[in-house]
Amino acid sequence: MAYPYVSDREVRIVSKFFGDPEARTLAGARKRGRYEALEKALAMDPDDVVQVVKSSGLRGRGGAGFPTGVKWSFMPKNRDSPHYLCCNADESEPGTFKDRELMRWDPHQLIEGCLIAAHAIRAEHAYIYCRGEFFEASAVLAEALEDAYEAGLVGKDILGTGVEIDVTVHIGAGAYICGEETGLMNSLEGRRGQPRVKPPFPAAAGVFGMPTTINNVETLCSVPSIITNGGEWYRQWGTEKSPGTKLFCVSGHVRKPGNYELPLSFPLMELIEDVCGGVRDGHELKAVIPGGSSVPILSAAECLECCLDYEGVAEAGSMLGCASVIVMDETADIVKQVRRMASFYAHESCGQCTPCREGSAWVTRILQRIEDGRGTEEDLDTLIEVTTQMTGTTICVLSDSVAAPVQSSIEKFRDEYLALIRRGERMGVA
Amino acid sequence: MTPPDRTGSATERVPFENPGWAGNTGEFDLTEDQVRGADFVGTRALEGGHPAASASHAYMLEEKDPAAPLFEGPYRERFEKILSRYPEKRPALLPVLNLAQELRGHLSPETMGAVAELLELDPAYVRGVATFYTMYNKRPVGRYLVQVCTNISCSLCGADDVLKAFLKHTGTELGETSGDGLFTTIEAECLAACGFATCAQINSRYFESLAAADVPAVIERLKREASVEGEDG
Repeated sequence: MAYPYVSDREVRIVSKFFGDPEARTLAGARKRGRYEALEKALAMDPDDVVQVVKSSGLRGRGGAGFPTGVKWSFMPKNRDSPHYLCCNADESEPGTFKDRELMRWDPHQLIEGCLIAAHAIRAEHAYIYCRGEFFEASAVLAEALEDAYEAGLVGKDILGTGVEIDVTVHIGAGAYICGEETGLMNSLEGRRGQPRVKPPFPAAAGVFGMPTTINNVETLCSVPSIITNGGEWYRQWGTEKSPGTKLFCVSGHVRKPGNYELPLSFPLMELIEDVCGGVRDGHELKAVIPGGSSVPILSAAECLECCLDYEGVAEAGSMLGCASVIVMDETADIVKQVRRMASFYAHESCGQCTPCREGSAWVTRILQRIEDGRGTEEDLDTLIEVTTQMTGTTICVLSDSVAAPVQSSIEKFRDEYLALIRRGERMGVA
Repeated sequence: MTPPDRTGSATERVPFENPGWAGNTGEFDLTEDQVRGADFVGTRALEGGHPAASASHAYMLEEKDPAAPLFEGPYRERFEKILSRYPEKRPALLPVLNLAQELRGHLSPETMGAVAELLELDPAYVRGVATFYTMYNKRPVGRYLVQVCTNISCSLCGADDVLKAFLKHTGTELGETSGDGLFTTIEAECLAACGFATCAQINSRYFESLAAADVPAVIERLKREASVEGEDG
């Protein structure tokens, strides 16, 4: 029995029980060692738990890559007011499909991770903000949570230690922007999911105005095994600055798409060729988006030397993001795909900031015009100018996410834009 | 794997021959139920089970009653349980709108007004929030709401053809409901199933690894299911 995307190059830590239905049940999970790390963590001082996670070098798996232990250490140490933990399970970055798998195969790993993190930041309540479309994952998670409550693993007096932590599954209703941490907090409060101006940072005034930490599902799932095995153990994989393993979500034109857990700094070409079986038969690699739709596109040549860690992908000219590798072969229409991404952002823009609200729609219209053969070469200059003014000028980075694919594709695949423009001119449409 | 016996609403279901589900590559020996954790739709208690999970009900039900009361019986219980998980009433807004939509199928201005009253919020505020989120239907939809992802990974793998096939075989335009009231097809943004492209969400269920050629069988399957359930009740 094996889940279809499996490779002997993998190091399975968070994905250890993918494809093992028994691990979903509480009895099966406990038989596999779930909640042993919780017992260990609850016997530790919260600051020592933070220290272990700090020493592991674990970085946030939601895209930004901020060191998790450092984030936790920003939380106030007193308990004068309630503290909250939010688990960001609003996975909706195009190309990303790891958190859904983590929740539906191993829900107890996530619950355990939430409890350990909540203990470390002295939180009384952890909210798992799960995107509304995940009916199946949230139903699996709900059942696991009910069983965990019944077994005294969540709630009052956990495992007889006197520690009290509640966990609640909260369901969203379809909005990409709620994956942005302050947008998530607003949404959790029953508002529109519009990001907040920082400061104040969540650790000072987050959800319900109280100190809050927000972590991605995969980040929290990585915590239990770090507590069990120690920070040094986790550092046996990856690099000094990007330690550990990471789920790589590979989609697009490869033979075996899927989630693969690999040590960070794994070479991109080996991921495509060895792990995923290469691009489809008879086709060749054209471009790769290495970190979800918000990051710059890499040309095939740029992929050759690229290693998949936070620094390595930056060196190649893009970002690791949430390690969502979208592979395109020579059949991919770059202009169409960039337009599709731009229209996604135009749809998902929350509308607060003018550069994003107006810019994303404007960019989409221009791209559509070019795709339809009604574009001009000046349109390319306009695209660069508009997206430049959309970068770094808004409350959150959704606006910057429009700029990344547009600018990088014009730089690297200008010929494709020009071909559409010339064809339009020849046909006399323009 | 047998579905857990905690049901309030489960209807007897025909075993689902889904032409596409996560990773169904032909070299994989788990059943769809084993992958999905049993047939999850309708397996959670109507009154919400434990309060910690009471907001997580699978709520895209096929039976929709625009005049259903807000909230009575087990739904009242679930409403109270949801409220109990937050320090104030406002944070319950999204889950409670979900609950209202589960019952009524869509959120009319009247429904939003009723929710506003229950949570002591302004009707205009509730409307402002509800219209921000795509999963709240602002008008009635068919028994099956078909949402085809056409974002980048699915688009690379033929999503446009899958969408066209759904429109063709249900005889509708984008966003319209078919004459028999069964199908409304819309485009969806990324459903986070990119490795199993194309993905379509039909009510609460993901159909994955869909090709345009699979679409007629999916539609036939749903029509059959609708007629069986129609006869039963």
